[in-house]
Amino acid sequence: MGDSAVFGRYWPGESVMHRLDPRVKLVGSLALMAVIFLARGWAGLGVCAAFIVGLYLAAGIPLPQAARSIAPLLFIVVVTALLNVLFVQGGQVYFQWGPLCVSEAGLRQAAFIAVRLVLLLLGVSLLTLTTTTLDITEAFERLLAPLARVGLPAHELGMMMGIALRFLPQFADELRIIRRAQLSRGARLAANPLRGGAASLSALMVPLFASAFRHAETLSAAMEARCYHGGVGRTRLHPLALAPRDAGAAIALAALAACVLAANALLPA
Amino acid sequence: MADEEKGAGMAAADGAPRANAGAPDGAAGGPVAPGGSPRADAGAGASAPDGAAGAAGGDFVVFEDASFTYDGAAWVFRDLGLRVGQGQFLCLLGGNGSGKSTLAQCVNALLTPDAGRVLTFGRDTRDADATYFIRSNAGLVFQNPDDQLVASLVENDVAFGPENLGVPAPELARRVADALGEVGLQGFQRHETAALSGGQKQRVAIAGVLAMDPAVLILDEASAMLDPRGRAGLMRVCRELHEAGMTIIMITHYMEEAALAERVVVLDAGRVAMDGAPGEVLTRAAELRALNLDVPFAASLSLALREHGAPIAPCVDDADLERELAALAPAGGGGGAAARGAGAWAAGADGDAPRGGTAGAGAPLLSFEGVWYSYGDPERKERRRRRGGRRAPEAERAAWGTDPEAVWALRDVSLEVREGELLGIAGHTGSGKSTLIQQMNGLSRPTRGRVLLRGEDLADKAVGARARTAVGLVFQYPEHQLFAATVYDDVAFGPRNLGLGPDEVDGRVRRALAAVGMDASAVGAKSPFELSGGQQRRVAFAGVLAMAPEVLVMDEPVARLDPRAREEFLALIRRLHADGLTCVLVSHSMDDLARMADRVLVLNEGAVLTCGTPAEVFADEEALHAVGLGVPAAQALAARLRREGWPLARPLYDEQSLAADLAALIGAGGEARHGR
Repeated sequence: MGDSAVFGRYWPGESVMHRLDPRVKLVGSLALMAVIFLARGWAGLGVCAAFIVGLYLAAGIPLPQAARSIAPLLFIVVVTALLNVLFVQGGQVYFQWGPLCVSEAGLRQAAFIAVRLVLLLLGVSLLTLTTTTLDITEAFERLLAPLARVGLPAHELGMMMGIALRFLPQFADELRIIRRAQLSRGARLAANPLRGGAASLSALMVPLFASAFRHAETLSAAMEARCYHGGVGRTRLHPLALAPRDAGAAIALAALAACVLAANALLPA
Repeated sequence: MADEEKGAGMAAADGAPRANAGAPDGAAGGPVAPGGSPRADAGAGASAPDGAAGAAGGDFVVFEDASFTYDGAAWVFRDLGLRVGQGQFLCLLGGNGSGKSTLAQCVNALLTPDAGRVLTFGRDTRDADATYFIRSNAGLVFQNPDDQLVASLVENDVAFGPENLGVPAPELARRVADALGEVGLQGFQRHETAALSGGQKQRVAIAGVLAMDPAVLILDEASAMLDPRGRAGLMRVCRELHEAGMTIIMITHYMEEAALAERVVVLDAGRVAMDGAPGEVLTRAAELRALNLDVPFAASLSLALREHGAPIAPCVDDADLERELAALAPAGGGGGAAARGAGAWAAGADGDAPRGGTAGAGAPLLSFEGVWYSYGDPERKERRRRRGGRRAPEAERAAWGTDPEAVWALRDVSLEVREGELLGIAGHTGSGKSTLIQQMNGLSRPTRGRVLLRGEDLADKAVGARARTAVGLVFQYPEHQLFAATVYDDVAFGPRNLGLGPDEVDGRVRRALAAVGMDASAVGAKSPFELSGGQQRRVAFAGVLAMAPEVLVMDEPVARLDPRAREEFLALIRRLHADGLTCVLVSHSMDDLARMADRVLVLNEGAVLTCGTPAEVFADEEALHAVGLGVPAAQALAARLRREGWPLARPLYDEQSLAADLAALIGAGGEARHGR
């Protein structure tokens, strides 16, 4: 399982994307999202898509793996698209059944929203695929640092986030084992977790929470044993420092935004 | 010593080489000045326990009438006195609840005694100023590798400790590299921690502690969750560190580890029950057994031989035992006579008849026919591979074994589970054992091949549904799947899912709890989370038994239990098997498999390496060694002695039979030589 990209899991590498300053990547992916929302038509989205494909290539992550990394979240895309199909009306009507009506405008809108969501997911996935959790944490913490003066526990929030991300794949694995164990005891989880009732759901969630508490207890002792005492006086193995490539990334993003705006202006949807 | 490089490197950095590694001086060039804050300037190379340790007269750790309680009512230990000198390799033994882990955390100032004092490097652990000084110099490694790694990359995790100490960046990188080198993981900096094996994770955890330049390394059952290969690697690292001057306190259940220490302390209910060299302590078999501890194989065999009247000194180490035996080896002519004697004895004793009577003849209950399984999408990978140029299917098949892109978790597995037998499955971590047993009740389907229940394919929906109940699967650490508010409800979960009536459910719950030695009316209303670990595991077992399975499949059922609980559990499994339940037992312990299994199947990299009676399988020691497995201790010793000319006739030895045969041979040889 270690050879496939998973949303939220790190994909080891030494590419330029991996070496970008995590602060730049964090702010950059927010900016990328904004730009994707800026795109008004297919031309704009096309530019964004090309840009994101380019980023994945630069990161050395094969495109099928990129697709696989967001696969578990595609249901969001499908649900959103369906809602759009059903609620946006206009143009030629293809199908009508009672209050349900599928029209040309609905399909267009659904396709547009779906592509936009996929691009957003790919953008976020790229951040976590190319940035270790500790780096994301560090970036988060450093970006929030100015707020520490007004009492915001920036370091603690960053640490919490990092640990949450570190344990995410582990809990996914544990949940899979628990699920299989309960299935072996005849639990009907496969079809619909909600219909199986509270007993079946708690058969999954109680062991998972018990495990989380167990992990938390040892982890906190293990961190204390290694002299963790908050952010004061901590150094970093790889201190964050901006490099020329980070400026390059900023310029590339600006160029993307310009292209998208130009596409909006020149090729209105 | 190991720290010498780091110490010297650091000293070189501030231009004052100081490589006196043996003394407490150089032993730990920690960045924390005594009493200083963790932010102390690392460049100064303030050495850790110097001065302070001198004051304690060379004892790094001192418990002075220390008492500790978690809840103010029950004392974990009381008035404990213990001294650990510099450079010692101390093994701490004790059953569950004897206070070992609490003691470890007291050394490290994670816990402080409620009465008395604990001095680490001469500093009182209650002295707040000394906390980080103590913690960085007395590194603690925990049991579960998944609970103590904080980072997703190896280098970030190893650097976590020194980062907390404020070590500057260039020095950090060097420390990470040095520490990884010391645990044999050079170049692993950019590896993901999640992708490592359990043994490697524990070595990363040790590296994370070593990177703080400790003078004492404390391992709190750090090997308990590892397979034999991982355990051996961990032990090798500890011995190398110790040879390089590190003081080591190792908490363990494994006697073969204790036998390699310099000093063994046995804790019982918070007091020191035994303390001495392994040769003294570990040969006191009766006392150890009374304290719920194992006795090392060599000790127990040498004691058994003495009981048989053989003139042999009690030993704790296999090598010593072999030396002792070599002196008594039956000489040429006498040996011949002994061989005849032993051969006749063995033939007459017929100690290797198949167990359980029906075992050989049982009809196949479950059969695997050429089962392949892959977690990924093997078809796609294969197509890509084919496009890549390798065409011949046979060549491909041969290449899979060593191909780093190999995706098959199971490769062409064919096997039978016969009615009434106990089939043992062995294989190192990652050999496909867990994947294999999940095929047995149709939880996951083979990518290729078939799994049959009484001749019917599990791929058929109705048969698959039947397999869910007919094949009871007990996962590893099954107590981690308990969830209900009461023991009764948890055990009743399965039968209720089967849609049985309340009376039938009640009957099944009571019978299942009785089968694991628990009384439904006594524990039924309790929360499973109130019970001890061993009890929880019994409840989890009962939950599977309540499904009334025909086959009970168990994945490492005694992992992480202390010796007494382990023996009780194995007895329980034997009883279930004797009552006619077909069993599949996955285990790392070759001794358990040899003792219990009718047949043993060995998996390697997803393929069946060998399958046969324990005598057949354990006859080929080399083949097992080649895949990182051992053979039962008695069998291994018998094989070595046979090579030295001892005429040991039986195909499979356990401790009793080996002691009996050796005693007979020594008796015969002794008479021939000394004319006794």
